[in-house]
Amino acid sequence: MSGAALRRNGLGGLGLTLAVLALLAALAAPVLAPHDPVKGDFSQGLKPPGTPGHPLGTDQLGRDTLSRVLYGARVALFIGLCTVLLTAIVGGILGLLAGFFGGWPGQALMRLCDVQLSFPFVLLALTINAIVGLGLRNIIISLAAAGWVVYARVVRGEVLSVKQRDYVQAAAALGTGRGRILFRHVLPNVAPSIIIVASLQFSQFIVAEAAISFLGFGVQPPTPAWGSMLSESRDFLYIAWWLAAFPGAALALTALGVNLVGDWLRDVLDPKFRV
Amino acid sequence: MRAYLVSRLAQTALVVFLSLTAVFFLVRLAGDPVLLFLPMDIQAKDVNEFRQRLGFNDQLPVQYARFVLGAVRGDFGESLRYRRDALRLVLERLPATLELGVTALLLTFFLAIPVGIVSATRRGSLFDYVGMGAAVLGQAIPGFWLGLMLIYFFSVRLGWLPTGGIGGPAHFVMPCVVLASFCAARIARLTRSSVLDTLNEEYVLTARAKGLAEWIVIGKHTAKNSAIPIVTLAGLETGQLLGGAVITETIFAWPGLGRLTVQALQNRDSPSCSPPSSSSRSPTR
Repeated sequence: MSGAALRRNGLGGLGLTLAVLALLAALAAPVLAPHDPVKGDFSQGLKPPGTPGHPLGTDQLGRDTLSRVLYGARVALFIGLCTVLLTAIVGGILGLLAGFFGGWPGQALMRLCDVQLSFPFVLLALTINAIVGLGLRNIIISLAAAGWVVYARVVRGEVLSVKQRDYVQAAAALGTGRGRILFRHVLPNVAPSIIIVASLQFSQFIVAEAAISFLGFGVQPPTPAWGSMLSESRDFLYIAWWLAAFPGAALALTALGVNLVGDWLRDVLDPKFRV
Repeated sequence: MRAYLVSRLAQTALVVFLSLTAVFFLVRLAGDPVLLFLPMDIQAKDVNEFRQRLGFNDQLPVQYARFVLGAVRGDFGESLRYRRDALRLVLERLPATLELGVTALLLTFFLAIPVGIVSATRRGSLFDYVGMGAAVLGQAIPGFWLGLMLIYFFSVRLGWLPTGGIGGPAHFVMPCVVLASFCAARIARLTRSSVLDTLNEEYVLTARAKGLAEWIVIGKHTAKNSAIPIVTLAGLETGQLLGGAVITETIFAWPGLGRLTVQALQNRDSPSCSPPSSSSRSPTR
């Protein structure tokens, strides 16, 4: 294999490994976690890593860090997956319709997207979350409401360019119904872009959720989430560095893995699609 | 050219107006601020009087009209928490955020662009691998975790840098690094791919064939042409930096707009939310 191909696939392989590890942690948390992530044991408070029974240490309430990190993976990946699905479906459909049928509704949608895209993503998701309230379901809604615009823009652009292609125009000339053209010709060509954007946004959603939980919104304690764990760790940074190090490392590695997989997918599916 | 500028300005005005509207409704919807500010044993009639005095009892269109007319004049009302003019409150915090943002931007450009250029020209070398590896990490590592780890190493363990707040140059170091990391990573990668693209162009081959020194070839010919996507991204990133400072300012207790917005959101302080949200628009594309 050439050096470039090896590097491209090597990085993708690394990303896949990290992502799979995160997935395993999330799925197998009840089996892998040595302790209950929510119930604390005050006599075991603030123990450093390496204490027997607590390989990654404990927090101020005596809750095992390893267990909480593993369960945190569940929350993070669940939120990421749900948000990506929601935004891809909503944004994708809107983009498809706007691009394919055009007209003033399409234009209006694009102007709306422009307005929303001018808000910084995290700030917008934070504001929406402050409105709709706390909790798991609401953070998914907030992130999706802030994130669907990217899909709409990208998909509409792709649809506009696919519409011009010869086989689409030929199909239209043959009298094929518009619905059939949309589903059989346009959608399969737009699908790679949707997948690429989805994979790139997945890690962005996970990190944004952690950031929002860090600020006190989003997922609430005692549900173990990496963001709120990092927020709680701030008070104990001087004496218990492991409370910040391990959840953050888990978050960083998961985000890294998903990013690398996304980059690899982009290289494979459409190298022209740069960040 | 003038027609283009005018049309862009008009679009900007429209975007700002729509943003103000969005902010108005978002913050009003965030819950009843009146109840949060009054003591628990308040009488019902006092609640009503308070609400009346602050103008929350009026019809929504009336409130909206008052808000828009006030915003145009620069009057965003009084902050509920601080009992001071909201706009002045924001303007007091704005310089701190701007200082941080501008320094982070400068750091980004002086670090990311050279790294990107050198990585492109020395493609496949150790520098390339290390540089792009750092860029990938910079994009993936969440800013707030990086901030916490930096605080731990440089403030708690080594004691070299202060943990937060505003002050001399030492206070700038960690917040700027954290703020710049994501941005610099993206720009470094984009610079590298953009320069790689332009290096394949024919005019570069011509310049080399002419016998021009390498640094002229790169500095003069490729630089300007590869700059186009970088400038586009830089414009977008500037807007994002102002908004993304929310997390950094919270970690480092930086007295800026981001922290004010978060505190206002946490306290349902509606007049204070409006100016900062409206000010972090990204520049017109």
